[in-house]
Amino acid sequence: MPNPEAIAKYVELAEKSSGVIYIEGDTIHIIVPTSKLVDVADIVFNKYNCSFRVCAGIDERPLNGHFSLVHLFTDDKAGYYVAIKTYLSGDNPVAPSIVSAVPAADWCEMEARDLVGIEFTGRETFRLVLPPWWPSNLHPLRKDVPYNYRPEPRIESEKISYSSEYGVIPLGPYHPTLHEPEYFELYVEGERIVDVKYRGFHVHRGIEKLAESRMNYQQINFLAERICGICGFVHSTCYALAVEKAAKLDVPERAQFIRSIVLEIERIHSHLLWLGVAFHLLGYDAGFMHVWRARERVMWLAELLTGSRKTYGINLIGGVRRDISEDKKQKALEVLRELNRDFKSLIEVALDVPQVKRRLTGTGVLPREYAIKLSVEGPTARASGVNKDARRDLPYAAYKYASFKVPVYSEGDNLARALVRIDETFESISIIEQLLDKLPGGPILLSDFEIPEGKVGVQVVEAPRGGDIHYVVTGKGAPYRWRVRAPTYANIPALRIMLRDQPLADAPITIASIDPCFSCTDRVIVIRDGRVERINLLR
Amino acid sequence: MSIKPVKLIVIAGKKGRVTVKYPFQEPIITPEFRGEVEIDPAKCIGCGACVRACPPNALELLESEKEIILRYFVGRCIFCWRCVDVCPVSAIKGTKNFELATDKFTDLYTLVVHTRATCELCGTPAETVRMRRYITEKVPISEEYITTCPTCRKKQFAEKIAMRKVGISELKK
Repeated sequence: MPNPEAIAKYVELAEKSSGVIYIEGDTIHIIVPTSKLVDVADIVFNKYNCSFRVCAGIDERPLNGHFSLVHLFTDDKAGYYVAIKTYLSGDNPVAPSIVSAVPAADWCEMEARDLVGIEFTGRETFRLVLPPWWPSNLHPLRKDVPYNYRPEPRIESEKISYSSEYGVIPLGPYHPTLHEPEYFELYVEGERIVDVKYRGFHVHRGIEKLAESRMNYQQINFLAERICGICGFVHSTCYALAVEKAAKLDVPERAQFIRSIVLEIERIHSHLLWLGVAFHLLGYDAGFMHVWRARERVMWLAELLTGSRKTYGINLIGGVRRDISEDKKQKALEVLRELNRDFKSLIEVALDVPQVKRRLTGTGVLPREYAIKLSVEGPTARASGVNKDARRDLPYAAYKYASFKVPVYSEGDNLARALVRIDETFESISIIEQLLDKLPGGPILLSDFEIPEGKVGVQVVEAPRGGDIHYVVTGKGAPYRWRVRAPTYANIPALRIMLRDQPLADAPITIASIDPCFSCTDRVIVIRDGRVERINLLR
Repeated sequence: MSIKPVKLIVIAGKKGRVTVKYPFQEPIITPEFRGEVEIDPAKCIGCGACVRACPPNALELLESEKEIILRYFVGRCIFCWRCVDVCPVSAIKGTKNFELATDKFTDLYTLVVHTRATCELCGTPAETVRMRRYITEKVPISEEYITTCPTCRKKQFAEKIAMRKVGISELKK
C-alpha cells in the first residue's frame, strides 16, 4: 500500500543531503554521499524512529570499481524498507561510522571491516568475526579471494581475559543447556554481575561466500535453511522472498499460504522448545518433559506437511515443493486442536510452579529505551514494550490474510519474554487455522521465470526469535551479494544490559531468555586481533 | 503454597505413554517422510541433471577417458529429493530408509558406471552412450550430427559454408 506521506519525508531527506532516491516496491533506496551518511542515518533512526536491521559491505569493484556500504532500516509504522547506500573508494574504502547515532550498528560495521575490508572512522574497531590467526590484509568477501582459499595459520597465543579488578567467571564454551558454542565472561563483585563480555563467532561457516561463488539460485534455498537448526525455514523463506522481490516474480498465492503455515508451525515448535529448555534451566524438569511431549506432535505435523521434521526443504524460488491436500489439512487441524487444549492445561500448571514464577519475575530486565537503542528483535523487544512484528508491519507471504494479536508486555523481565512466547504460540495456532481455512486453489510453483542481474531485494521475515533480514543483489546464475542477519545478532548486545547487577545464578536463564541461536549469529565472521577488548556498545 | 503443580500428574496419567519401543516397534514416521534415494542403474543415462540440482554435492559425476561415473554419497545427502524432481528418466526414486549407519564406509557410496561415447572424427571422449541414445530418441534429427563433438561440428559447418562460398577447388589451395 503506497503511503505518499512517508515517501515525501524520505524524498525531502534525500534532496537535503544531495542524495539520489528511488523506490522499488516497498523498498526506498537512498544513495548518499559518504560525508552525509551519519546525518542521514541519524535522522532515519532517531527522528523517523526506523529500526536498524543490519549493514552490508559489498565489493562492487568488478562492476563499477567501488566498494559500497548499505545500511538497512525498516520503517515499521509506514511499512517500508529503507536502504541507505554509499559508494566508497575502490583502493582505500573508508566510511564514517554511524555508531554514535545508531548504537545497533556496532557489530555489522566491524563485520564489514573484517570481511570486506572497509575501515571506519569515528569509532574503535577490533576483529569480530575472523579467527585470530587470519592475515589482517585478507578480506574473504572480496571478489578476488577464492572461496576455497585457506591461509596458513600463524601460531599466536590469544589473551581471553584482561580484567583483574573483578572476579571473572567464564560461561562457556557451551551454554549449560542450549548446547551451542558461546563464550561469556562474567565479571562479578561478590555474587553480582558488574560487566559482561561476549566472545562469539567460533563457528563461522562462511556461507555467504560459498553461496556467492559456488552455488546457484535454487541450491541456496537449502543452504539458507541450514543457517539455523531451529528456524531454518525462516531463512529459506526470507532468501526466496528477497530474490523474488528483486526479480519481481509473482509467486502463486497458494505457495505463499503454505509458506506462512509452515512458518507458523516452525514458530510453535521453536517456542515450545524454548519453554521446555527454560523449565529445565529453572529446575522444573517435569514441565520440560511435558512441553516437549506436546512439541513432538508438532514435529510430526511438520513432517506430514513437508516430508521432514526439521530443515523442511520445500522452498524454492517461485514457490514451494509440497502441497497440502484435504486429508493433510484435516490431520493438521486435529493436531492443532489437541495441542491448544494440551498446551493450555500445561502452561496453567507450569506458571504456578513456585520456582518458575519467582525466578522469572523481575530478573534480566531490559528497559524500553535500550531495546530501542539497540534495535533488538522479536520477543525480546516485545517484552520490553517495543511494539514491532514484521508479520504485521511489513506483511509478507500470506500474513495479510490472517488476523492476529501481537502480544506486548512492558516489564522487560524474563517472565515477560516467556509470556510473549506463550501468547504467540496460541496466536500461531489460530493463524494456521485461519490460513488452512482460506487456502486458495491453484499451482504452488512458478515454472518459468528469469532472474535479471543487478537487482536488489531486501526482506525481513519474523523468526521465532525476531526479524531475520536477507539482502540480495542478483548476479549471473547466483546472487552477487547475499547478506544474512539472524535475530540473535541484534539481541546478544542487549544481554549486557540485562545481566548487569543481576545475581550470578540468574545468568543462565537470562542468557537463555533471548532464545539465543549462536550458530546462526556466527554464520558471519567476527574476531579479535590477539588482544581482547571490551564490547563497548553504549558509549 | 498452591497445590496446582500437582495437577501435572493428572495430565501425565491422561496422556499415558507416548514413546515407542524402537527398534522393536515400527518408528513413528509419516507417509511423507523423505529418506535415502535409490538410483536405478538400468534407467540412468548419466546426464548430470541431478548433479546440478544437488545442493550439498552428494551426487557427483566422475569423468575418465572411458567412463562417466555417477557417484551418490549418502553421507553428504540432505534428503531433499531435488534429484528425484529433476531426473528426466525417473531413474532416481526416494525411499523411506533412514537407518543408514554402517561399519563399512564403502556402503555409503552408490556408483553408476556409464560407458563414454567418443567423437567419431577426433576421438575426444563425449557424453555417455546412453545419453546419446536418449537424445536421438527425443530429437530424431540429432541422429545426423550426434556422433561428432561440438568442436568438430563447428569445423564441419564452417567448411561447408566455405565450400558453398568459394568452391572446393579454392579451398584446397
